[in-house]
Amino acid sequence: MYRLALKMLLGDRAKYIMLVGGLTFASLLMTQQCAVFFGLLSWTTSHMRNMRASIWVVDPKVEQINEIKAMRDTDVNRVRSVTGVAYAVPLYAGVIQARIADGSFKPVQLIGLDSATLVGRPPVVLSGRLEDLRLPHTVMVDELAIERLSLRGGRKIGIGDTFEINDREARIIGICKTDRHFFGYPYVFTTYDEAMQFAPKTRKMLSMVLAEPVKGWTAAQTARQIENETHLKAFTEDEFNKSTIKWFFKNTGIPASFGTTIILGFIVGIVVSGQTFYSFVLENLRNLGALKAMGASNWLLARMLMLQALTVGFIGYGIGVGLTVLFGFAVLKTGQPPFLLPYQLPLFTLVVIIFICMFAALLGIRKIYKLEAAVVFRG
Amino acid sequence: MADTNGNKNGFAVHVRNVTKTFGTGEAQVVALKGVDFDARMGELLMIVGPSGCGKTTLLSVIAGTLVFEAGEIDVFDSPLHRLKNREVTEFRKRNVGFIFQQFNLIPTLSILENVSVPLLINGVGRVKAEKKAREVLERMGLAGRENDRPTLLSGGQQQRVAIARALVHDPRLVICDEPTSALDKDTGAKIMELLRDVARHPDRCVIVVTHDNRVFKYADRMTEMEDGRVHKVHENYSQYEQKGNH
Ligand SMILES: Nc1ncnc2c1ncn2[C@@H]1O[C@H](COP(=O)(O)OP(=O)(O)O)[C@@H](O)[C@H]1O
Ligand SMILES: [Mg+2]
Repeated sequence: MYRLALKMLLGDRAKYIMLVGGLTFASLLMTQQCAVFFGLLSWTTSHMRNMRASIWVVDPKVEQINEIKAMRDTDVNRVRSVTGVAYAVPLYAGVIQARIADGSFKPVQLIGLDSATLVGRPPVVLSGRLEDLRLPHTVMVDELAIERLSLRGGRKIGIGDTFEINDREARIIGICKTDRHFFGYPYVFTTYDEAMQFAPKTRKMLSMVLAEPVKGWTAAQTARQIENETHLKAFTEDEFNKSTIKWFFKNTGIPASFGTTIILGFIVGIVVSGQTFYSFVLENLRNLGALKAMGASNWLLARMLMLQALTVGFIGYGIGVGLTVLFGFAVLKTGQPPFLLPYQLPLFTLVVIIFICMFAALLGIRKIYKLEAAVVFRG
Repeated sequence: MADTNGNKNGFAVHVRNVTKTFGTGEAQVVALKGVDFDARMGELLMIVGPSGCGKTTLLSVIAGTLVFEAGEIDVFDSPLHRLKNREVTEFRKRNVGFIFQQFNLIPTLSILENVSVPLLINGVGRVKAEKKAREVLERMGLAGRENDRPTLLSGGQQQRVAIARALVHDPRLVICDEPTSALDKDTGAKIMELLRDVARHPDRCVIVVTHDNRVFKYADRMTEMEDGRVHKVHENYSQYEQKGNH
């Protein structure tokens, strides 16, 4: 009977296409929008992956990593003296205008690393040596910077080339790989001391302090200890990630706007497939009544409807997620828009699609249970 | 008269004082007002009477497709008035073959698939079911049409497919509601001849509801209904004719 149930479904081309189309649309919209949303969220915490540290010490008012509130230079030493801290180093982070060969200005994300330890270093150096940053007036830039700081249509800049930051020459000694940041500025790494020269002078220049716990202490324990002793704010990596994402949820319309689209996908899915499937059942009521008269139990008919609904569900889901993955591949090549597809996401969509299908089937099943087999005798 | 295939009274179908009401209040219609009725093994019993007298309703309660408020119905060994819903479904699945006025074949399935449906519902495997369906279709003169859609067939051919479907699982009771009304005279006559042959079987009872007087002559016995009651039973068609009916 299951085979015949599928034939009955496929026999109604228009409804079948409508059902698959609606469910494809729903799963595409939900998966793709979630992936873009997750991608965007991951961009907000790119700093954490481009400058790695166990503990991030910041001004007490800071809630998220993209927010810089300058600290006193002496704060580095205060953190260093806290029990449980193995070492602590200064970090400068600021968005600064760089001037390129044709005289135009481009904003860059300048990062100044402690010159002795180079803690906060980028994760992957593609060419050059990070240690060369200790030479005067040198920087290491990411691939995006190469693109942005090269002349349009001209030769790509590379190691040995220079550009200006704040009227001072900066020479490229290496290229690194970074995760793209939410604001989209290219990363330019230099030493903390050099950054002090590049950056416009202000009373307070220190952006953050990066610290590591001593052996035997967890990052969280040390962070709490730093907070107690210095009254600065200390985040572990995980805490800073969460706090940053929470901040974006609370303070921007981004989650709401994505949420709306995702819910829209869900509603379209449930309305289109529910409606179409229900009318499929209504149009087949005579046939279903005949089957019921011939002794098909409600449960058998219910299973047939569930099979029909799940079949269009799986097909629509397959196409929708397939399209999302294709979209993802296309996006990974260009890096824009953001896209992050953890395996839980397709699973989540699958659960939602199954839910939609079961709901659609249930509408029909209710009808079947109420259907009196004797209807088949009526004209 | 002891009939091993029938119920304890020797009847295939034994209906006593059955009432059935549709709707409530103002819209209430009493379709069956205490019907007594019986049918025997090996006969083609016709239920006749004017439109709206309750023929279809009577057929529906006998077939177990409609619940009734009062009275008793025994079909073979099954007391329908005492069975639970689920048991009635089980009863229909095994014992009843259905033939409808509008054929009610499933248009998206092939003829072979349509005919194999009752076997599939009874849990017979697909290969076996289709083999049996093929045999029955051949007996109905429809060999070679197995893979066609029902809509490609003429009305008479479709009704023969429906008969094949009604017989494929060897039911003891075959129920037909106005099987010839949608057909022309000659085709209707052929269908009735087929049904009479179907009834010539000691293990089977065929009940035909009709108001088509052109086919009355195929009846072994006739039950005349009027306004929700059985009005007269004629032991054969000539008896019916002699009483001034045409
Ligand atoms: N489902 C129903 N709801 C309400 N009234 C019905 C229903 N089925 C039949 N009736 C009424 O019951 C009476 C008998 O109907 P029916 O058994 O179909 O008559 P027949 O088959 O002899 O033409 C009619 O008055 C009809 O209107
Ligand atoms: Mg009728």
